[in-house]
Amino acid sequence: METALGYFLMSWLDPFLLLLVAVGTLAGIYIGAIPGLSVTMAVSILISFTYAWDTNEALALMVGIYMGGVYGGSRTAILLNIPGAPAAIATALDGYPLAKLGEAGRAIGVTTVVSFLGGFVGIAALALGAPLVAEISLMFAPRDYMLLGIMGLLLVASLAGESLVKGVVAGAIGMLISMIGLDTMSAQPRLTFGSSALLGGVSYVAVMIGMFGIAEALAQLHGYAAPAVKQKVDKIVPSLSTVLRHLPLTLRASAIGVWIGALPGAGGDIAALMAYDHAKRSVKKPSRPFGQGAYEGLVAPEAANNAAVGGAFIPMLTLGIPGDAVTAVIIAALFIHGLRPGPNLMVDTPHLFWFTVGNLTLANIFLLVFGLTGIRLFAKIVEVPKAILLPIVVVLSVVGAYAINNNPADVWWAVGFGIFGYVLKVYGYQLGPVVLGVILGPIVEANFRRTMIAVRESWAGFALELVSHPITLVLTIGILLSILRGTPLWPKLVGMLRGRAVDASR
Amino acid sequence: MRLNRRTLLAGATALAALPPPRIAGAQEFPARPIQGTIQWGAGGSTDAVTRAVAPIVEEKLGQKLVLTNRPGGTGVIGMQYVHGQRADGYNILFGAENPQLYGVLGLSDLSYKDFYPLVLLARGTPVLVARKDAPWADAKALIDHVLANPDTVKMGATGVGGLPFVVHAMLAAQVPGFKVTQVPFDGDGPALTALEGGHVDFMAAVWGAARERIRAGRIKALAVIANERLEGLDAAPITATLPGFAKYLPWGPFFGAFVKKETPEPIVAKLEKAFVEAANDPRFKEFCANFGVVPMGIGGKEAIAFLERWQSVTAWLLADAGAAKVDPATLGIKRL
Repeated sequence: METALGYFLMSWLDPFLLLLVAVGTLAGIYIGAIPGLSVTMAVSILISFTYAWDTNEALALMVGIYMGGVYGGSRTAILLNIPGAPAAIATALDGYPLAKLGEAGRAIGVTTVVSFLGGFVGIAALALGAPLVAEISLMFAPRDYMLLGIMGLLLVASLAGESLVKGVVAGAIGMLISMIGLDTMSAQPRLTFGSSALLGGVSYVAVMIGMFGIAEALAQLHGYAAPAVKQKVDKIVPSLSTVLRHLPLTLRASAIGVWIGALPGAGGDIAALMAYDHAKRSVKKPSRPFGQGAYEGLVAPEAANNAAVGGAFIPMLTLGIPGDAVTAVIIAALFIHGLRPGPNLMVDTPHLFWFTVGNLTLANIFLLVFGLTGIRLFAKIVEVPKAILLPIVVVLSVVGAYAINNNPADVWWAVGFGIFGYVLKVYGYQLGPVVLGVILGPIVEANFRRTMIAVRESWAGFALELVSHPITLVLTIGILLSILRGTPLWPKLVGMLRGRAVDASR
Repeated sequence: MRLNRRTLLAGATALAALPPPRIAGAQEFPARPIQGTIQWGAGGSTDAVTRAVAPIVEEKLGQKLVLTNRPGGTGVIGMQYVHGQRADGYNILFGAENPQLYGVLGLSDLSYKDFYPLVLLARGTPVLVARKDAPWADAKALIDHVLANPDTVKMGATGVGGLPFVVHAMLAAQVPGFKVTQVPFDGDGPALTALEGGHVDFMAAVWGAARERIRAGRIKALAVIANERLEGLDAAPITATLPGFAKYLPWGPFFGAFVKKETPEPIVAKLEKAFVEAANDPRFKEFCANFGVVPMGIGGKEAIAFLERWQSVTAWLLADAGAAKVDPATLGIKRL
């Protein structure tokens, strides 16, 4: 125990390591905030940069960037409606409406505090339950990932806005976009029309940047002369009562974040979307209707995506299996530094586990400090006249799209989807479901195919798969229930059950 | 030495006969940072091997190497990018084995024929692995089981043309009636994770990716797809069970650095020297040992011969397995 505490405090007591975590967190916040610049890419560049460094120093910096970056994505999502990272898509849904209402500062304040709390839940889960959670995460078979993806797709219903049909159409468009490119399972190009530029498919980050950033800028041209909304910059730091009111949701969303983050096949982006869906289903009286500036719609995804950081480290530190793209790069970095990440990592290098937990905790504290400073200044961005702000949004979107893979094709995609998204908006389609389809489509499709291949294409075998394991059964029932809830059958069913309960009590 | 008008004149003539300053400029290559394009994404094996060798290459060249991942389309995007740049040595492709199959899979007209190998950095050795509670202790037991129960055993794969797919094609060619159900995943990491979770029964994976899981007893090794045993692994080479495998070996994924074929000779020579030196540097070799790959460190003719042999073995295996969209013969790939 004493040695564990010693490892935990390594970065706390060494001024240089402390500085590296702090610098990393600060840099991460800004890298995360710029769309297209991803934490994955930043950490990857650091591998060469820190080649000659001590492993601990490299890790301290990387962990800081990771923690800060996941949080940073919310900044631009709230201020400009461009999610800085896919994990902040759900944040934009209610965050940007809040900025339009003049509450950008408060929104950032709440986001920062719940990110901090979510981060701690993730770290606590890592510190206390890592081996158990890792083993459970391995039990997830392709069929379970498929069901998880379907569960996420049901979110279309809550994102659809005025018309469910339009929502489903938008979601289907997204899934269609996700199919473009080389299908790696069969090595067949799909929907590429013989063009090798399409072979790589359409990056969902490009779709996201186009649909959120550029489409929004185009839509705002309609009223560009309108005076900018005056931002309220008092009460930036949320009061204790606000935090306490949202605490139950924060904790539930964090649990979702840890769980999804720990799954090797899903990361913070999906965690945030699932948490948003959960908030929408479970919060009966939100501060405002969802999609129009509900703080609950901000709290859930932001707690979840930061909790997913700790979650992603769980399979990485215990089994050497990355929980997401960033931990995959950190694993590569460990190899280059002469370590052997794997199930024996904690045996070979016993300090690494508690050292990482200590760094994450430290980064989380720095996140709160850096996150809460400068909010007033940031909130003023929304007050900039649109004639200046909108071109900046477009430039940021183009630069961001190029930065994804350094591929000019992505810029064209972002611009193209920006215009397409604008047209959809004009006709009353919501853009959230499109992005949802692009992200979740491949997960559902690939895992459905895997499941079908594994049962040798027998539908009976497939049906049997869906009830073959406790985890699968829970997911299947969950999906059936949430579909039932949307049908007229549900009130009847509830009525029947109530009636029976009353009968029984007599 | 007597200095008179004549010797001065001779000196001037000699100076005039020297190559023009343009070539002197080429000798100063590299005058600015070199762009390196990695055809796979961050966190993958190609990325790791490249980033491990890059700092050593920078030392040897005395110039920065700016690395960029341009993933997509099993590496087609990155390769096309470099192919679209000037052949001046300032654009280097860091690639894996995939381009050697673009032709037969109908993905692109490009292959390493259009490039010059500065160095082949390292290659991986495939290992046949099974879930830890599988009832087989070696390759022979697995083969007998599959022959008795065709199509019921689930094999983890990474798609058409991937390492498990090719090793399976070798097995199927050597053992008539070897029929399994191939479940494709997004890469060897996810496939090995599925194996560890017991969602598939066996697969072939590169040693570096499987080693730690084998060492911890979370999966078990049945055989090494090589002519000889691997250091630190208690599994027989596949040739002990199936001597016919020898004609494919050594086979495995590889990583290298390439420039466009049209790059001027002096620049190529300078780059090749730096890359081969870096690949033979003890620090890179240490990384290879740790990462579980075999350091190669060969450039030029030797590398070209390896590339051609690899392409021939693999392309024809795919063709015989019915997975080739384009006949290797029409691409000028000779059957060995």
